[in-house]
Amino acid sequence: MENKYNLKSPAVKRLMKEAAELRDPTEHYHAQPLEDNLFEWHFSVRGPPDSDFDGGVYHGRIVLPPEYPMKPPSIILLTANGRFEVGKKICLSISGHHPETWQPSWSIRTALIAIIGFMPTKGEGAIGSLDYTPEERRALAKKSQDFCCEACGCSMHSALMDLTPDSNPSAEDHKAKELAQQINFKEESSSSRQASESGGAESEPPTLTEGDASTSAGQDESEGPEQAEASPSTGAEEPPRAPAGTGRPLSPRQRRAQQHSQQGQQSRPAFAAAPRQPRDEGHAGSVVLIVLLTLALAALIFRRVYLANEYKFDYEL
Amino acid sequence: MRSCRRRKQISIAKMAEEQQESSQGEVEGGNCLAYDEAIIAQQDRIQQEIANSSPLVSDRQDLAVLQREYAEEDTVYQLKIKDLHKQYSYIRKTRPDGNCFYRAFGFAHLESLLDDSKELQKFKAVATKSKQDLVNEGFTEFTIEDFHNTFMDLIELCEKQPSLQELLNSFNDQNVSDYVVVYLRLLTSGYLQREYGFFQHFIEGGRSVKEFCQQEVEPMSKESDHIHIIALAQALNVSILVEYMDRGEGGTVNHHVFPEGGDPRIFLLYRPGHYDILYK
Repeated sequence: MENKYNLKSPAVKRLMKEAAELRDPTEHYHAQPLEDNLFEWHFSVRGPPDSDFDGGVYHGRIVLPPEYPMKPPSIILLTANGRFEVGKKICLSISGHHPETWQPSWSIRTALIAIIGFMPTKGEGAIGSLDYTPEERRALAKKSQDFCCEACGCSMHSALMDLTPDSNPSAEDHKAKELAQQINFKEESSSSRQASESGGAESEPPTLTEGDASTSAGQDESEGPEQAEASPSTGAEEPPRAPAGTGRPLSPRQRRAQQHSQQGQQSRPAFAAAPRQPRDEGHAGSVVLIVLLTLALAALIFRRVYLANEYKFDYEL
Repeated sequence: MRSCRRRKQISIAKMAEEQQESSQGEVEGGNCLAYDEAIIAQQDRIQQEIANSSPLVSDRQDLAVLQREYAEEDTVYQLKIKDLHKQYSYIRKTRPDGNCFYRAFGFAHLESLLDDSKELQKFKAVATKSKQDLVNEGFTEFTIEDFHNTFMDLIELCEKQPSLQELLNSFNDQNVSDYVVVYLRLLTSGYLQREYGFFQHFIEGGRSVKEFCQQEVEPMSKESDHIHIIALAQALNVSILVEYMDRGEGGTVNHHVFPEGGDPRIFLLYRPGHYDILYK
């Protein structure tokens, strides 16, 4: 790897250093660059104890901008967890309402610790955040250990050091919580919504509403209905191989997928079947509307005819 | 995030309308994500425009350029510029990117040390030691050492008595220049946190010194105020004079020396939101 990169580049220098720093897994986190790309890393983090994520080990990607560390990394989770949507980029928000700004002296380790600290916080309806129930999260935490990443060859069973009772998790925990308070994550639209993302999310029970709508809509966009029942590992075995470039504008198709997902949420009470429609929910909505209007019109005309007839009868009498 | 959610509500309302009209087609600006991306893109464009129109640190120019920046009938500023002329002859501008104080300070100070090797050695000693101070305070060594190394490289460059142009080139190399800014920000943050007992009285909004540093000092592009200047001046033991020029009446510029009572070697011009370098 050393020959491939310009060692004078500040980002390369820094990332080499961080790779060395994070080489050995700890009890709580581990991250390493992919063999063929210093600017894409894969990581595993342990769900914080005393939370619904206890016992879970979650896997994801980190994409680093060429300007790193002057610009923040993007983080994408690949394991279903019930807190962050799978396959969506989480990045530091630019919102002026919160003091949530990346600092060049932070590192990948800072980001990992912040993620851990952020998991038990509320999603509160932020786009891309999931507010699954504790039971669902616990189920996902248990399931998360079965994950095996094809891209980096990591198995969640062995990705991290085993927790030892004499270790002092409270210090780590404290640091994580403190960081999570400082940083505000938000989900950014993923530059590439791929089948595997929705595949991963498909391991959710199909009863979920709200946040799940978007993933299931995305899934409906990209996969046939026969794959809807795919096992969780199907998604797990296809990590997205998205290009490292970040912030690419959405394609119309992706935009439509997102738009539909929101419509799905919106129209759910009226059209309970909509999310399971194979393709276009919007289309289904308009069809239903047209049918309703037609029915109403028909009823009115019927009434009119009936009244006219009545009148006629009266007249004849 | 709050605005984000509000936008989401709006977009949902919009979406409901859309649905009544026709549910096909693109909803422009219909979601928060596209919105934020547009904001990021626009900020980038603005940054790019600023970058194209002004170098990080400019050549030294005659102070008369200031006069041309303001309308002739703008008497408040014209009078103050005249007042400035009594003491200063030249100005060197910095790019207005929120880092101008640190860049102006860094350049002006190293420039002043080019022909004063005794002071340069003193400064080098302070700078060398500063990293360990930060590490002792809890900053992660491997993340700050690149910034420190870049800073030390520049000081070592000055030891070789380079031409002024060489120093200027380094400060106009975005990588080098930004790393120096990061390090000066770290020094400022470190000093504020070390002396938090003193500084916490000057921080608005009920924030702790640490929070203030995380929000207003360490992130790039955050502008500097008195408190930053005092901290950096004391952290590096350098005296800074700032001439304040704003719309206030009076016809004269006011100056402050940081720390008070020092014998300043660096003169900065402050106009609301921006710092440039002044020369006698």
